[in-house]
Amino acid sequence: MRSQVYEWDSTGMTVANVVGQRTSIFVGGVGNNITKPAETTATEFVVIEDIATTPTLGCWAGITADTVIRGLIIDGAAGTAGIAGPRSYVQVRINTTDYFLDPDNIPNDGIPGAASPYPRSIDFQPAFNLYPDVYVLPGQVWDVLVTFYNAGAFAAGTSVAGELMCFVKYTLYDGPDALIANKLLEMGISINPGNVDWYKRSLLQAQA
Amino acid sequence: MRSQVYEWSNLQTSANQLRRLSTDQPVQVTANREYDIFTGGIGNNITKPAETTATQFIVIEDIAASPVLSGAVQIRINTTDYFQNPDVTNMDGIPGLASPYPRGANSTLDLTSVTASSVGSQNILKSFDLYPDVYVLPGQTFQILYTTSVGTTSTDATSTEVVSCFVKYTLYDGPDALIANKLLELGVTINPNNVDWYKRSLIEQQQRSRVAAAAGGQA
Repeated sequence: MRSQVYEWDSTGMTVANVVGQRTSIFVGGVGNNITKPAETTATEFVVIEDIATTPTLGCWAGITADTVIRGLIIDGAAGTAGIAGPRSYVQVRINTTDYFLDPDNIPNDGIPGAASPYPRSIDFQPAFNLYPDVYVLPGQVWDVLVTFYNAGAFAAGTSVAGELMCFVKYTLYDGPDALIANKLLEMGISINPGNVDWYKRSLLQAQA
Repeated sequence: MRSQVYEWSNLQTSANQLRRLSTDQPVQVTANREYDIFTGGIGNNITKPAETTATQFIVIEDIAASPVLSGAVQIRINTTDYFQNPDVTNMDGIPGLASPYPRGANSTLDLTSVTASSVGSQNILKSFDLYPDVYVLPGQTFQILYTTSVGTTSTDATSTEVVSCFVKYTLYDGPDALIANKLLELGVTINPNNVDWYKRSLIEQQQRSRVAAAAGGQA
């Protein structure tokens, strides 16, 4: 089992083309991408433990355009007034099912950056903890989708480093660890490195 | 069971808007008026009042609001407000200063100045933790109500303020909701750990029964 992270940065994104649209941080064609959609093989099990995106701060709509507040740009243009930062959200999708729903059971944009900020700072601290974790079972395809609504959070029409980012922390269980993860799932036990180790120890004790 | 959040802001392109749009602008929030963040008519809304079905159980774990304009957030289950004054009269709920959103936001954003230099430098952290959690039982309707005693300053979209509200809850559905009901009966706190514990105890019970049956068969 291995602790893994994936950081996405929208550098080079044409802001007007992507604003208001869901974009895959893995294969969305924007920012840094990977070679193929994220998926687990038959001998892999992924546990997503944290997701985060660039934070946003609501403020007074009359603040002068292109002012920087706590590292976030605010633009006074229509549709951007009173919002410092990209107003971004991050959603997890397993196969074709979105994880985060509104109370009317309709998929929403996901976790707001203001609730789960990346990077974390004194100014922006998390209000959200992804617990219980999200399990990606063997053979499933998964994706992390980012949506932002404030085109005014970018200094120019093309984004630069740090203006819109996304972060995923997950643990990859492979080989026998993936089998144990499946077994723990059947038993209703949370899948984490501590419990996988506990199951290994209990197997060894049973053999002895 | 799934961890869920809902974020509301007074940003909209048109009234009763369901989805967020890139053309959203801040709208006025009237002082001393309760706004349901789900179906209140301003900001982003959902299609129907928030309610649990017969096979759902919701545990509200955190609520928060912008720490400006004396904003506060209240939970209403069916027709009963959760937070009350000591004399059992109604109140606005948890102040944004006690449970700020975002965490670390400033409370002294100068709302009458156009300069960012007047933004407060302090970071408001939470003084309030929603514990014990609030349970929404199957078949109940719930509302999260945002109230500001000050109100935003203007009806003009370019000179009003953006305020937000946040709720974090866990949705238990299907068999997890049944277990949540069972835990409630037992007086055990409903959280993912305890739901898993109950599942494990059921499995262990089944295994013991199987072993006992097998031993009985051999004898």
